[in-house]
Amino acid sequence: MDEVWPIVIVIPTLFIALPWLIFHYISKWKTASALTSEDEKLLDELYELARRLDDRMSTIERIVQADNPNWRSVASDPIGSALEDRSARILEGSDPVERIGRSNRPSRRN
Amino acid sequence: MNSPRTRFYLDKQNAKWSGVCAGIADYTGVDVTVVRIGFVLGFFLGSGMLLLAYFLIAWMAPRKPAALYLDDPDEKKFWQGVRANARRTTRDVRSRFREIDRRLADVEAYVTSSNSRLAREIEELR
Repeated sequence: MDEVWPIVIVIPTLFIALPWLIFHYISKWKTASALTSEDEKLLDELYELARRLDDRMSTIERIVQADNPNWRSVASDPIGSALEDRSARILEGSDPVERIGRSNRPSRRN
Repeated sequence: MNSPRTRFYLDKQNAKWSGVCAGIADYTGVDVTVVRIGFVLGFFLGSGMLLLAYFLIAWMAPRKPAALYLDDPDEKKFWQGVRANARRTTRDVRSRFREIDRRLADVEAYVTSSNSRLAREIEELR
């Protein structure tokens, strides 16, 4: 009986508990390091979204650029440099119709 | 266990023989020719282990589903980056969003400032 006890304890320990422990940690490590399907779907969606937004942003920037080529300096310095001085232009036009036409065009552009 | 896009597949569309080398190239982003040369050198120089590994991979790995063949090289590169280091790629996506936010802020500043400028100019014309 004294010789049987260690065998009863040791053999299940070696062949059941130890592999169990190892595989438990292997599976745990695998789930921790790998991307789950949901993460992957989310990442895919975010990537697509970023790309679409990038495209849209480029379109908007092109439109604004066509509107006013130095819009970047207007955005950073709204009051100063980027304003075009059109007081002279308004005064130089003697014809009132032309004056309106001239003063309308730049203000619409802004 | 793994998600479908980060698994290893045999790339049968670009395969020379069984698609193992093309699969490795597609998975990692290394050029196919380099992988093939490496394998051939390994066959001759190394022991039979690499040959065994090759056949084991060819036998065990699944074929790449048709839906996962990507035409866009950018997207291909993106998923190769995800396989290599998902955390870094996620940070890259975040930085892209920040970049978009910054550009949008620029446009917004321009539009709002030009609106107020227009109002001021109308006021001056009165």
